[in-house]
Amino acid sequence: MTSTTAPSGLSRARRGLAPGGPGASPGKRKSKLSAQTTKTFFWLLLPSVVLLVLIHGYPLIHAAVQATHDGDLLQTGNFVGGENFANVLSSPAFWKAAQFTLWFTIVGVFGSWLVGLGLALLLRTKIPAGNTFKVLLLLPWVVPIVVSSTAWNWLVATPDSLIPSIFRGLGLGTPLFLADPTLASITVMVFKVWVSFPFMMMMISAALASVDTTVYEAASMDGASRWQQFTQITLPLIARSTYISWILMTIFCVNDFPTIYLLTGGGPVSATTSLVVLAYRTVFQDFATGPGVAIAFLMTMTLVVISVILYRQIRKSSVE
Amino acid sequence: MNVQSTANKAFSRRGFLGLTAAAASVPLLAACGGGSASQGGGGGGAGGTIKFWDMPWATPAYNDSAKKIAEGFSGANSAKANYQIIQWNNFYQTFSSAIASKTGPAVSTGGGFQAFQFDQQGQIAYADKVIEKMKANGQFDDFLPGVLDPFKSDKGYVAVPWQLDMRVFWYRKSLFEKAGVSLPTDWPSLLEAGKALKKVGAFGFATGAGSGNNYGNHSMIMMMVNNGGGVWNKNGELDLLNDRNVEAMEFVLELVSNGIIDPAAVSYTTDNMSAQWKDGKAGFGLFQVNVPQRVGDTSGDLLVADPITGPHGDKATIVFPNNIMMYKNTPSQEASEEFLVYYMGQLKELWKQKLMSALPVFKSITETPEFANDPNNVKIVKDWQPIAKTFASQGSTLNANLAALDGGQALNQFSQSILTGQAKDAKSALQTFQSGLESVLKK
Repeated sequence: MTSTTAPSGLSRARRGLAPGGPGASPGKRKSKLSAQTTKTFFWLLLPSVVLLVLIHGYPLIHAAVQATHDGDLLQTGNFVGGENFANVLSSPAFWKAAQFTLWFTIVGVFGSWLVGLGLALLLRTKIPAGNTFKVLLLLPWVVPIVVSSTAWNWLVATPDSLIPSIFRGLGLGTPLFLADPTLASITVMVFKVWVSFPFMMMMISAALASVDTTVYEAASMDGASRWQQFTQITLPLIARSTYISWILMTIFCVNDFPTIYLLTGGGPVSATTSLVVLAYRTVFQDFATGPGVAIAFLMTMTLVVISVILYRQIRKSSVE
Repeated sequence: MNVQSTANKAFSRRGFLGLTAAAASVPLLAACGGGSASQGGGGGGAGGTIKFWDMPWATPAYNDSAKKIAEGFSGANSAKANYQIIQWNNFYQTFSSAIASKTGPAVSTGGGFQAFQFDQQGQIAYADKVIEKMKANGQFDDFLPGVLDPFKSDKGYVAVPWQLDMRVFWYRKSLFEKAGVSLPTDWPSLLEAGKALKKVGAFGFATGAGSGNNYGNHSMIMMMVNNGGGVWNKNGELDLLNDRNVEAMEFVLELVSNGIIDPAAVSYTTDNMSAQWKDGKAGFGLFQVNVPQRVGDTSGDLLVADPITGPHGDKATIVFPNNIMMYKNTPSQEASEEFLVYYMGQLKELWKQKLMSALPVFKSITETPEFANDPNNVKIVKDWQPIAKTFASQGSTLNANLAALDGGQALNQFSQSILTGQAKDAKSALQTFQSGLESVLKK
C-alpha cells in the first residue's frame, strides 16, 4: 500500500492520478510519422486548406486593400498607406469603444464562466429534474438573439417596463436601464452573461464529466476539505477546458455585434459602442470604408495576440 | 490514468492557431463580405428583362401588390420586368456588391440618398428622358409642388420621386382635453402644452433615438429647419453653428430639462415609440404619416396637428422624398425608362389599396376617395407638404453627403447628447456635430 500525504496526494490528483497508481510522469514521447503517413495527411488536409484560403484569404486581402485606401464599397479609391490606421488610433471614439469592448469582454467571459461553473457544479449533484433544468438552462444560448434582445427590451426599455416597475415598487426609483449610459453598459454586459453562460456551463459540465471521481475519494481520504478539493483538484482538472472556453468566449465577446446593436444600437451617446459596432457604423452608416476596415483589422490582430497568450496557458496547464 | 491525454493529442498548436485565425477574421469578413442578394445574373438578365429591386416599404401586402404591378409591365421589343425584395438590413452593402459584380438591378427603389451615392460613383442613368415622357403623358404636371426639384443635378435628373416620407406633429386629443390646454401654435405654447401634459402623465414632445430609430435625429433637424436653420446653408456648405440652430437646440434642451421629453426616449426603438403613442403616454410629437394605423389606434383620438411657428416666424418640417433610380447596367436603357414611366403610372393602385405609409407624389392620388377620406391625410397634404424641406436645407438639391448625415454617427451622437441632456450647451453640441460630420463628408 502506498502511503501519501495530503499535499502530495493532491498533486497526484491534479494530474488525474489515483493513489497508488503507477505515477509515471506524462511522457514527452514524440511519435515520428512515416513519410507515407505525412503524405496522406497532406492530401487529406489540402482541400480544407484551399477552402480556408479561398474563404478567408480573399476577404483578408480585399480588406487589407480597403484599409489602406480611401475608397468606398464600390470603388477602391486612392492608396493612403497607414493613414486610416493613424486616424483610427488617434480617434477618441476608437479608444472609448476599445475601453467598452475590454470591459464587455472581461465581464462577458468571466461573468458567464462563473455562472456556468456554478451551475455545472450544481447540476453535477443529484437534484430533482436535473436533466430538465439542463435543457431549460440552455435556452438563453439556443434562442435567437433577435428574440432574446426583443424580450430584454420589453423588460427594461421604458419606465413602465417590468424591471423598472419592480424597482419602483420596491421604492428604488425608476432606473432607466437603456437610457442612462452607465446603466446601459451594465445592462448590455448582464445580457451578454445571460446569453453566454449556457455555453460555459456545457463546456465545464463536459470537463467535469471526464474527471475520475476516485480522485475526490482519494483526496477526501487524504484529508482535503471541500474547498481544497475544488481549488486543488476541480479547477486544475478543468483548466484546459476553461482556457479553451475563455479563448472562444473572448472571440465571441469581441466580435459580438447583435447583442449590443439590437439592444442599444451602441448608445446612448456611444456608451455601449464596442469596436465591432464602431466598425459597422463607420463602414455602413458613415460610409467610411477604409477607417471601418482598419478598426476590424486592429481587432483581429488583438484577438490573435490574446488567443496566442491563452493558448500558451493551455500548453502550460497540460504540461503541469 | 491521465484523463486529458486523448484531448492532448487531438489538439495541435497549428490546428488551434488556424481555428483562432479563422474565428478572429470574422469581423473582417463581416465588414467586407458581399451581400447575399447579389445573385441572379448580371445586367438585368437577357431578353430585355428589367430587374426591379424594391424595399419592404410597408407590410408584405405592399410588396405583393408592387410585384404584381412590376410583373404586369410589357414594353416594346417584348421587354418584361421581374421583381425582387431587398431587405433594409445592410441594403447599401447589398446594392454595392451587386452593382460592383454587375448583377445589380436596372431600376430600384432604395435609401433616400442612394441615387446620389451611386451617381457619385458613375452608376446612375439619368432620368431626363423619363421626365420628358412624363411631360408628354401629363404625369409631370401631376407632381405635387417642389417634389421633383431636389433630384435635378447639373447633369440631369438623378432619380424620380414616388413617395414622400413626411415628418409631421401628431397629438392625442383626449390628453389635451384632460390637461385643459390648447394645441401649440408656436414654441412658447409648445413648452406650456408640454408642462400641462406632464401633469397628466404624458409627454409633450414624443420622440426616440434607440437602436435603428431615426425619429430623434429627424426631430432635431426638424426643429432647426422650423427655425429657419438647417445643416447646410443656401450654397450647400455645412453650416451647423448658425444662430438659428443654436436657438433651436437651446429650446430642445429646455424641453428636456422640463421633462417634456421622456428621459428614456434616447433608448426608444420605433416599437417603443409606437407603444408610447398607443398607451396614451405621448401627447404630442413628431412622427410619420398614418400613425393611427401604425400604432393600432384608429379611434380618431390621434390627429395631425397644425405646423408650429418658430420664434422668427418660420414654419417648416422635413420630408424624405423616396425615389426610383435607374442604373447604367441594364439590358436596355429604353426598356428601363419605359418601365419607370409605366411604374409611376401605376402608383395610384398602391394608395387605393391603402398599402402606403407615406404621401404620394401625385396630386391625382391625393384626390382619390381612398386617400382623401382620411382627414389626417388631407391635413398633411394641405398644411404640411407645402412647408416641407429636405435634409439638404437650407440648400435646395439633394446630394450623396446626405446619406452620411441621415443615420450617420455624427447626427446620432448629437441627438442622443441632446436627448439625455448630456450636452454641455447647444453650441458645443453643435460644434461636436459639425466636427464629426466634417470628418466623414466627401470633400
